[in-house]
Amino acid sequence: MNESPNAPNKRDPADPPSDEQLMVAFSQGSTEAFGELFARYKQPLFGFYCRRVADPAHAEELTQETFLAVLRAARRYEPRALFRTYLYAIGFKILRAHRRKAAFRLTFLGVAGSREPAVQIANEAEVVLRQAVGKLERMDRQILMLREFEELSYSEIGELLGLPVNTVRSRLFRARMGLRDLLAAPAPKSPAAELTGSEERI
Amino acid sequence: MNATAHTLTPEEIMAFLDGELPALDAQAVAAHLESCAACSRVAGQFRQASQELKSWAAAGPAFSWDAFVLRAAGATSGGGIRGANAKMLARNWTWKQWALASGGTVAVLLLVWSASVPNLLRSRRVADGSLHWLRSEQAAGSKSFDETEGYIRVEQPTAGLKLNTRIEPGAAADSNEIPHGAGSAGDQVEDSDQIASAAPMIARTVSLSIVVKDFPGSRASLDAILARHRGYSAQLSLSTPENAPRSLQASLRIPSAELSAAVAELRTLGRVENESQAGEEVTQQHADLVARLQNSRETEQRLRGILQERTGKITDVLQVENEISRVRGDIERMEADQKELEHRVDFASVELQLSEEYKAQLNSPAPSVSTRLHNAAVAGLRSAWEMVFGIVLFLAEYGLTLLIWAAILALPAFFVWRRFKGKLASL
Repeated sequence: MNESPNAPNKRDPADPPSDEQLMVAFSQGSTEAFGELFARYKQPLFGFYCRRVADPAHAEELTQETFLAVLRAARRYEPRALFRTYLYAIGFKILRAHRRKAAFRLTFLGVAGSREPAVQIANEAEVVLRQAVGKLERMDRQILMLREFEELSYSEIGELLGLPVNTVRSRLFRARMGLRDLLAAPAPKSPAAELTGSEERI
Repeated sequence: MNATAHTLTPEEIMAFLDGELPALDAQAVAAHLESCAACSRVAGQFRQASQELKSWAAAGPAFSWDAFVLRAAGATSGGGIRGANAKMLARNWTWKQWALASGGTVAVLLLVWSASVPNLLRSRRVADGSLHWLRSEQAAGSKSFDETEGYIRVEQPTAGLKLNTRIEPGAAADSNEIPHGAGSAGDQVEDSDQIASAAPMIARTVSLSIVVKDFPGSRASLDAILARHRGYSAQLSLSTPENAPRSLQASLRIPSAELSAAVAELRTLGRVENESQAGEEVTQQHADLVARLQNSRETEQRLRGILQERTGKITDVLQVENEISRVRGDIERMEADQKELEHRVDFASVELQLSEEYKAQLNSPAPSVSTRLHNAAVAGLRSAWEMVFGIVLFLAEYGLTLLIWAAILALPAFFVWRRFKGKLASL
């Protein structure tokens, strides 16, 4: 659990430039500023997609697509919200579009795409964890993952998902309780066999 | 928060661990957790769950596109967003996309080429043909041209012009003088061969479009020109709309001998926008008519002789009289045709269009604001009503068919939609 989340508003002047400052600099023509942003967010964004799509190759493509979308929209960027909220909002849009396309192909063309296991399964505990997260209610799962992996604050999550902060808090609590109960329950006999399906739903 | 009363909820502990509590509340919760074993246990469970989740780490990406994104960023900041998009798209294409794009471009170019080339060739052929015709007409002294629009107007390209070669030197071939036809001398000609060897009969037509500044003055001048050249107006229509240029359209008849002078005077009325002249050679037609007329007259004479000199049955007499009346009818019809033909030769036809060079009047009374609003409201109401009525008519005509199709397609569409949503939820 992240007990000291990022607090961009309380930044010391001596600190490195904030994401928002870098983005504004890039929108004014500084390529180095984008390089810095890219270095900061390429791994988190890749992780964001990796935990939500089955194929890491797709995750890479979507990460690339997200950065290209940021590039395209750079001239229109206004620092009204935190950059990472902006970035993950683009990420969610691209993810939804990707899922719609995949569902369309699956429904009308019968093309399942690459359904190979997402990542190399490290151990049994990780499999159990993935299954448990996959069983959570969709919105609770999103809130939990945004909090735990992307380390967004409650207000950022609320802004991203269009929910009040109190709702985010109560749903996050419910998700954590649900996850605790699921992890406490006995593990299935062959978790690896069920992984492909469960991780698709995350 | 009262630590001793143990009033903390697990949700508050979670918020504290997430750093989402205000500073004062956070201090109170921290103090409570130090003193309360049960709450510390809850906090420990939260921490442990987070630690377990942290084990779900994504493997590092290959980032083979790392340099590509940075290059694209450079292109965006340097060459503009649009250029960067094009470059990014182009670099992102697979060989199949390249092949498709190239094939599509070639297909579009071929389509454009195949559509434009025949038109170009056709235009060139027409231009060549027109040029050739113009040269031959210029060599023959033809007057059929269009000065302002730059193209040749051909109304009767074969008429009258070939015969110019047979006109006696000095007749009218090389001047603007209209060759005057045989006219009333037609009935004195014995046969068509003799007529063909005489001066050609040409029916002239002229079309003039003139823009004038002084419209009433031009109208008066037109009447004067007609009187001076002994012409007349076969048809005349005048249009004088409000707040718009006035116009006059007239079909004039002018003696052929006076045509050139009359047209020259008409040109002085204003700026000639369009002019075309043509001539139809009717010599042969006239000669045929005269010959047939003469034959019919001879036939009539013979029939009358039979009726006077021979006797016979009453039925035979009646038959001869019927034949005489039929021949008489033919003669009268041919005489009318002959007169009309000779009139066309004697009087050239001039189609004149006079248009006023309109200047908007500042003092023209504009409708008041309330009137315009009223008119707009009425027009809007009428338009809305027409639209509603159109929808009702459409529904009346096609509503039932649409309903039937909707009923037929609803079930499959519902199943497809449900399947799509299911697939979407599973992804």
